[in-house]
Amino acid sequence: MSLSGPVFFLGLLLATSVLLQIFRRWTWLMAWLATAVTSALGGLMAFANFEIPISFQLNTVNLGEPLNVLGRTLVIEPVDRLPLAFMCFTAAGLFVLAWRLLPHSNFYPAGVAMVALLAGALMVEQVVYAALLVVMAALLGIFPLYEPVRGTGRARYGGKPKGGLQYIAYISLALPGLMITHLLLEQASLFPSDAGLLRTSTVLLGLSFALLLGAVPFQSWLSTVAMDGSPPVVTFLFTVNLGTVWFLLLAYLDTYQWLGEQAALASLFNSVGLTMMVVGGVLAAAHHRLGRMVGYVTLVDNGAMLVALGTQQVSGLALTVLMLMARPIALGLMTLGLDGLRRFGESSDRLEALQGAAWITPWRTLAFVVGGIAMAGFPLTLGFSVRWGFYRLLTESSLFFAIIALSGSAGVMMGMITALRVFLAPSPETVADDEGDGVRDDPVVLILILALVIAAIGLGLFPQALAEMAMQVAEGFTFFTA
Amino acid sequence: MNPFSVWLERFANLVSVPAAWGIFVTGAVIYLITAWRIRFLALIVQYIFIGVLFARIFDQRPEMAMMKTLVGWLVSGALLLSAQIRARALKSQQSKHMMQWAVNLPFRIISLLTVTVIARLASQKYTLPYVSADLGLSCFLLTVLAILYMGTEEDPGVVGVGVLNILAALDIFYLAQDPGLMVSGLLVGVSLLVGLAFSYLTVTEVPA
Repeated sequence: MSLSGPVFFLGLLLATSVLLQIFRRWTWLMAWLATAVTSALGGLMAFANFEIPISFQLNTVNLGEPLNVLGRTLVIEPVDRLPLAFMCFTAAGLFVLAWRLLPHSNFYPAGVAMVALLAGALMVEQVVYAALLVVMAALLGIFPLYEPVRGTGRARYGGKPKGGLQYIAYISLALPGLMITHLLLEQASLFPSDAGLLRTSTVLLGLSFALLLGAVPFQSWLSTVAMDGSPPVVTFLFTVNLGTVWFLLLAYLDTYQWLGEQAALASLFNSVGLTMMVVGGVLAAAHHRLGRMVGYVTLVDNGAMLVALGTQQVSGLALTVLMLMARPIALGLMTLGLDGLRRFGESSDRLEALQGAAWITPWRTLAFVVGGIAMAGFPLTLGFSVRWGFYRLLTESSLFFAIIALSGSAGVMMGMITALRVFLAPSPETVADDEGDGVRDDPVVLILILALVIAAIGLGLFPQALAEMAMQVAEGFTFFTA
Repeated sequence: MNPFSVWLERFANLVSVPAAWGIFVTGAVIYLITAWRIRFLALIVQYIFIGVLFARIFDQRPEMAMMKTLVGWLVSGALLLSAQIRARALKSQQSKHMMQWAVNLPFRIISLLTVTVIARLASQKYTLPYVSADLGLSCFLLTVLAILYMGTEEDPGVVGVGVLNILAALDIFYLAQDPGLMVSGLLVGVSLLVGLAFSYLTVTEVPA
């Protein structure tokens, strides 16, 4: 039997998702099975030769072969390979992180199904279906997002549903714009002289992506989801889901090249991106809750990615991709830190509840702070080397823009310093005496924290390999080179 | 042509304008009355009106309109069940009266009237392409109701109805132009997932 690439890829993920649902009793089995399958598929996307069919006994898989469903085509294009690999490896890493944080969680089956839907969104040629699949994946993400995390028999924390409500509301509001744009652009190809069609579709498309990416003034869902949601799931949404939205935006720009050629697009990306960076920086500096901080640093990062895209250069696009690739490590660290700090603060992530946390749960504090510094783009982390390139590129076009962008990162850094001062404050005796099992750190979690800190610093010192990969992805998109 | 289809088409054409206003009335009931039983009865009735509008789009395939209505009822059932669980769990906070108006009723009435006027004027000023005027009015009414629910409500059940409304508006508008099985099927999938997600969010705060 011969299988096409999409059937194999999506079929394996969906079958694994069903299996994981059956194995929910055994957390280690779920975590490692999900990790193994997603890593294997990621490896296949990154390293396999698509020209040579892969044979398993009587079955042959042709990875490059398209799949037709009711006239719609799904195919793994060369340009999709690295984004798919990024998505799979990020998901695999987060499944390992969640292994010790989310026992018996439905994050594993839902996460694998989400990867399948998002991969489908990247593979499908007609962007209208991609939008629908992204929304379906977002909806699936709601189920693990509010699962109460149980430790020793009692619920440790389970957020309020407000973040989930906002998330679905914003994502759903983005869907009509994406689908109607598709209709309008089809009309525009028949009536190329009708400027109104193009104008309307540009506005709709911009509005939809602003909603999906949490651009100002639609940023509230980012911080509310991060505040209320389970940290590993929030990280999944901010890396894998948002990553797919970014690649969807690039796919739109690639499919409708006239969009990328519009002069107004660069100024739109720059102004929206810089606003996101400044607003995110100000909010991060003024925050009192660590969960919200995760949302704000993501807002600043998204803003930086938009500004990099606004340079309308291949190197800017490569920086956008590189920032996306750097995000899972930094946010993964913040996740591990936030989880431990919330346990320390007895379900609260307010700064006043976390006084002296550094003395009682030092590794979790270290994870949160290093992750935050990496997201702010300060030395010696991977975030720094990416942002260094970003500021250099931005300075070439406008020093003023570079200073504004830097102020956003400085705001995040100020927020981190404020948090660090609270963490390092003398611990109240009552807290120290009341140190429960929730504060005691799992050795596996410590190993994961160390591994991520080493990765963040190591890749910060030697970012060449990652930068080359980002450049390879950027060169796959032709809208700035055509 | 099947006589039933002919009859259904005539019926749908005749009642599509009342159906559009029926959507508004049921939407107003959901917004102004907080008793969950009445809200979900209104939602079930709203899906009958939405089904009538779909019957106009799928005049050759009435089974598609029927399917959309059934999916709407299914989702309403899921929301009803979770609202019931939540209401039982939070029994002490519930009023014993069957008819329970929203606490900020004057504000709600004014905002409802405002968005209705906006929808009416928008449907006249910006004629939607590919759909008739009554379908366009329905799309605008569903969209403004959705924005109203999402913007002013925190009850997951009502925000869920808002998301379902915006999906219904999109469904009507998009399928009038491209009535393909694939898009229709995926939109059904999205609606079912929305129903499940909001049912889940409704019960997340209920203690186990």
